[in-house]
Amino acid sequence: MKMIKINALKDNDRMSTQALLQLIEEKIEEGYTDFEINACGQHDIGGSSWSRAEGEELNFYITNPGQRVGAMARKGTNIYVEGSTPADVGWLNSGANIVVKGDCGDTASHCAASGKIYVSGRVGTRSGALMKHDPKYETPEFWVLKNTGSFSFEFMGGGIAVVCGYDCAGLKSVLGKRSCVGMVGGVIYVRGNVADISKTVVIKDLDEEDKKFLKKGMKEFLTAIDKKGLADTLLDFSEWHKIEPLPIEEKVEKISVKEFRETQWVEGGIFGDFIEDDLTIYPLASTGKGRLKQPVWNKDLCINCELCIKNCPNNAISKDNNNHYTSCDNKCIGCSICETVCPKNAWTMQNNKKEIS
Amino acid sequence: MSEVYINQLHKDDLPWIIEYDESKCIQCGRCTATCSFGAIKPAIEQRKVSGSITEKNKLEKVIVIKQEIGFANHCRGCGMCERVCPNGAIKAVRNTDDRYSIRYRAKTAESVKKGGRSNLNTEGRTLDKIKIGRISQMTDPSLDAVRHTFEIKTPFGRVLSADKLNLNVKDGKLERTTPLPPNRFIYPIIMGDMSIGAVSWRMWEAMAIATAYLNEVCGIPIRMCTGEGGIPSRLLKSKYVKYMILQIASGHFGWNRIVDAMPDMVEDPAGILIKIGQGAKPGDGGMLMANKVAKYVQEIRGVPKADLLSPPTHQGLYSIEESVQKMFLSMNAAFNFKVPVAIKVAASVTSVSVYNNLLRDPYNIVGGFFLDGLAAGTGAAHEISLNHTGHTITSKLRDCYKAAIKQGRQGEIPIFAGGGLGQTGSFAADAFKLICLGANGVFSGRLLLQIAGCVGNDTERCNACNTGLCPAGIASQDVCLTKRLDIDKVAQNLVNYFIATDLELRKLMAPTGCSSLPIGRSDTLITVDKNVADRLDIQYVC
Amino acid sequence: MCRIGAIKSKKYIHPSTALKLMRSQQEGHDDSGFAFVMQDLGGIFETYKELPILSMAATIEGTRLAEDILHDLGFNRVLQWTPDINNKQGLKISPMPNYIFEVLEYPKSHKYATKEEKEELLVDTSIKLRKALEENHSGFIYSFWNDVLTLKEIGSPKDIGTYFNLWNDDNDLSAKIITAQCRQNTNYGIVRYAAHPFFLEGYTVLANGENTFYEKNRLYQEGLYKGYLGFESDSQCFLYSLHYVNKILKWPLEYFMHTVFPLSYNDIDKRDDHQKEILLRIKASLEHLSANGPNTVLGVLPNGNLICVCDPKKLRPVVIGRNDETVIMTSEVAGVNDLMPYRDINKDIYPREREMIVVDNNLKIQRIEQ
Repeated sequence: MKMIKINALKDNDRMSTQALLQLIEEKIEEGYTDFEINACGQHDIGGSSWSRAEGEELNFYITNPGQRVGAMARKGTNIYVEGSTPADVGWLNSGANIVVKGDCGDTASHCAASGKIYVSGRVGTRSGALMKHDPKYETPEFWVLKNTGSFSFEFMGGGIAVVCGYDCAGLKSVLGKRSCVGMVGGVIYVRGNVADISKTVVIKDLDEEDKKFLKKGMKEFLTAIDKKGLADTLLDFSEWHKIEPLPIEEKVEKISVKEFRETQWVEGGIFGDFIEDDLTIYPLASTGKGRLKQPVWNKDLCINCELCIKNCPNNAISKDNNNHYTSCDNKCIGCSICETVCPKNAWTMQNNKKEIS
Repeated sequence: MSEVYINQLHKDDLPWIIEYDESKCIQCGRCTATCSFGAIKPAIEQRKVSGSITEKNKLEKVIVIKQEIGFANHCRGCGMCERVCPNGAIKAVRNTDDRYSIRYRAKTAESVKKGGRSNLNTEGRTLDKIKIGRISQMTDPSLDAVRHTFEIKTPFGRVLSADKLNLNVKDGKLERTTPLPPNRFIYPIIMGDMSIGAVSWRMWEAMAIATAYLNEVCGIPIRMCTGEGGIPSRLLKSKYVKYMILQIASGHFGWNRIVDAMPDMVEDPAGILIKIGQGAKPGDGGMLMANKVAKYVQEIRGVPKADLLSPPTHQGLYSIEESVQKMFLSMNAAFNFKVPVAIKVAASVTSVSVYNNLLRDPYNIVGGFFLDGLAAGTGAAHEISLNHTGHTITSKLRDCYKAAIKQGRQGEIPIFAGGGLGQTGSFAADAFKLICLGANGVFSGRLLLQIAGCVGNDTERCNACNTGLCPAGIASQDVCLTKRLDIDKVAQNLVNYFIATDLELRKLMAPTGCSSLPIGRSDTLITVDKNVADRLDIQYVC
Repeated sequence: MCRIGAIKSKKYIHPSTALKLMRSQQEGHDDSGFAFVMQDLGGIFETYKELPILSMAATIEGTRLAEDILHDLGFNRVLQWTPDINNKQGLKISPMPNYIFEVLEYPKSHKYATKEEKEELLVDTSIKLRKALEENHSGFIYSFWNDVLTLKEIGSPKDIGTYFNLWNDDNDLSAKIITAQCRQNTNYGIVRYAAHPFFLEGYTVLANGENTFYEKNRLYQEGLYKGYLGFESDSQCFLYSLHYVNKILKWPLEYFMHTVFPLSYNDIDKRDDHQKEILLRIKASLEHLSANGPNTVLGVLPNGNLICVCDPKKLRPVVIGRNDETVIMTSEVAGVNDLMPYRDINKDIYPREREMIVVDNNLKIQRIEQ
């Protein structure tokens, strides 16, 4: 184990993030594994590197970091932050263990895909957003002792979040407002009040598996943040629930407009005082009452040539033994062919009833 | 064979020519049975069977489908024949050598009438030259159309400037000290404004059902304007009247029934719209041809079966002062000053003067300004009005909004803009652009018909709303035709269209970083047309 | 990007505190400018609380022009303070030739004037000075008000601190309230006026964000009051809205929140208190003052209270750290950690959407839910 201490602020001269990160990387190349960093708001400390010392992990002990502590940090990296941190702690965490002994700013654990993030305080808005889990890697875990800001766990796709709701008396929701919108995977264990949550997730009671997980995990979590004394309080499962996305088939469907008309609309229709409308729908080229025109036969003009019978496309015209011709309403569509082919104008087309009563 | 004279109307005079392929036709008669205009009929023609030069010609009779050549029953290009033909043997084809309107005037000494929209859309749409170009990139995050909350609501009713609200501070909280004009907060899209009579009872009821459904089931607080043809008592007495903006136009049709229903009304209506004019035929009154004045229309309107021509102006309103003091006062008084009263005028060179006058109304009883541009639709109009009168909506809306800015009074009388919106299919884009230019909201009627199944368009197709022979059963009172319309499907289509529009509005609000309506956010708009940029005061880009 | 901070203390603090507050947040801003407003002044200004102080940066010509205008109006100089300039090589700063901080005596004509009349005179004089300096590009006037001192400059905050000798806390400047921001306006042109904090008649506002409703805000505000001018930054709109609501309309402070970030109509509808109608009215009437986009707004009121309001989606960072003596509001907790490493972090406050934080003169904190 090779250790180095870096002071990122000397008098009024502050190291830039670039200078600090390049220095750290240089030291890692030289085989250093442990870093004590007194930072001054520098970003991305502890991210995306790996130990060059055989069989050893990287350890970062940081005070006052800037944003994105442990960004894209890998398995084999351990980050300990003394005090509170700004936004994006554990952004895209890819396997590191990150412990923050304080609060986190907004979007903590954003897109975390593996590893563990332990926070001994609260986390800000949009925390846990887009967490995901690739089954080839360890499940990401995100443990928060207190509460989250609003809009947390948006679009969460996988992984486990645990919000312990400690010291949150009086809060209407330990997940803030409008949490879990767009959540499609993963699970959130939560202790305490939850309100104003997305309608596409479901709040359930814990089962035995859940309790087993929490018991084991809580011990590790509380140990890491030096709060072992809280175990009894936090492991009272009566206050815990879990949140999971609703399965797709359970999402609520709206009633159809037809159903709305039949059950909620003005009974008998708003024109019911004037019109009797049975709501029949006529297709184009309809038969019966839906015809625009219908043929009328004039006995006196008919010469019984049967041209109409022969040419009617719908076989609607027939004659009886007395040579009396009729057109069957249920077959005729009112095409006028009978009228056209009749050499004596015995068939004429009449307009169907034009107005409703 | 009959003689042919040059002054007879001929097929090539007509706007549409029926293209008929005899070899595919099986004489099933479906096309002639379907055509509501009677524009095609079966006919018998003779064909030479065979023969050589030495033999006498042998002729055979065959049944064919023939186009009717007449002023009343010419083909409108609605395409129903093509729809029903099992073999694709028939269709209507646009005649580019059309001389119909000349021949019609020459024959009848009458003006040409039609429905639909202006068909002289030569100038192109300004709205299509405008793009939404201020996209949130880096400076501020784009929002997420699905995830974020958006507020798509706009005030309807007279809005007083903050210093005129007369609010008092008591125990650290503001409280009201004087009565204030009625305000409603509604979806920025108002549908309808088409009268019972102009459209069939099924179409009208479908719009009303869709409005109620969108409010009650979807939480989209859209309102429907009744149009000037009255409103059935059953609707007046139902709770759904709260989604209805009751219109009063110069004909005042059906208002006796409204007055009669007042004691039985369980809700106030959403608003009142005094219609002074409309964009499709500015300066002209409503027109309902006798063949659409069905019995129930006669009852609701209190008139016999006759051509109903509303006067171009409200009798008794001959100055803007009278309009405000008399008409607005009466309509405000009708519902005890609890319901916003707005006015609808056709866009005109004079619109800014009108708007300024209304803004200065000392009684605060003007609750909205509906400005209707020239591409608006109508059930019936003289072609001369439809094609040659009116004012485009875009610049006039902008003028009115800028007039308000000049006085520091933007938003005090909400402006609603209409006239040809949704013409290119996307109502959301038109709505968004007009809102950015200063509209509080928009309205459209014609688009609703197209959603319902109207086949008419802006290039002369169908547009026969005035004839009452609407092949889709929308602009008709004929039983057989109206019953072609499926009330549930129409209502469902309207609902679906507006759900899609709502999503599309978010899709425009999100990338421009607006979580509430971008009223007056002209900074989001750009145009490649320098003239448009100068006129509307938006950014020119190339 | 910019980073903002506000410090309010029971004892006088030096501007170096503001520099230190912003130092750790450097990667959050672009190192392009530094500006601060000091209120409730100590040091050499402590004895002149009732007299207006002019804060100005100008060319020699501009200085003369301003002096003439003030002289013509009857103002008399009581005290002038000039910063101790350290123009060493290599500093990243674009300085102006003159920096003027002077205490003035009101004209004789205003000897018996009311507070309102005096304030009116200061506003009119500020506008007059600003317009005159603008005309021949000869300078900038940042504030002209009693007990207020403003400095804005283009360059690296650290170097600006060095140039004005602000890192040493032994000079004559101190105040109980300091608001500061790091960054020049990189969205638009580089204009000294565009840097926060913005000041008007005792109100100071600084915002971290982007007000996408800037254009419509501006068009409405331009007609509301003569003092609403400039509009070099979309964040100025917050200042003018605060001033309009609180000073001109005389509405309680919480209505500022209802004006710039109004509740949705649906949320107002759900309320059952008597405020429902009022909130609907305000929202409609002041629609053109509503802001949009991600924003954290910090402000100082004429009574010395600090406020903090976040946009309804809480898209920008802010944290409040405190001890018995001092309250700090700033964008990132790193800044607070630097100045107060040993505070009780359990007392830190992370403001939420839909609330207003008010810090009074006893450093008591009130969280007003919207």
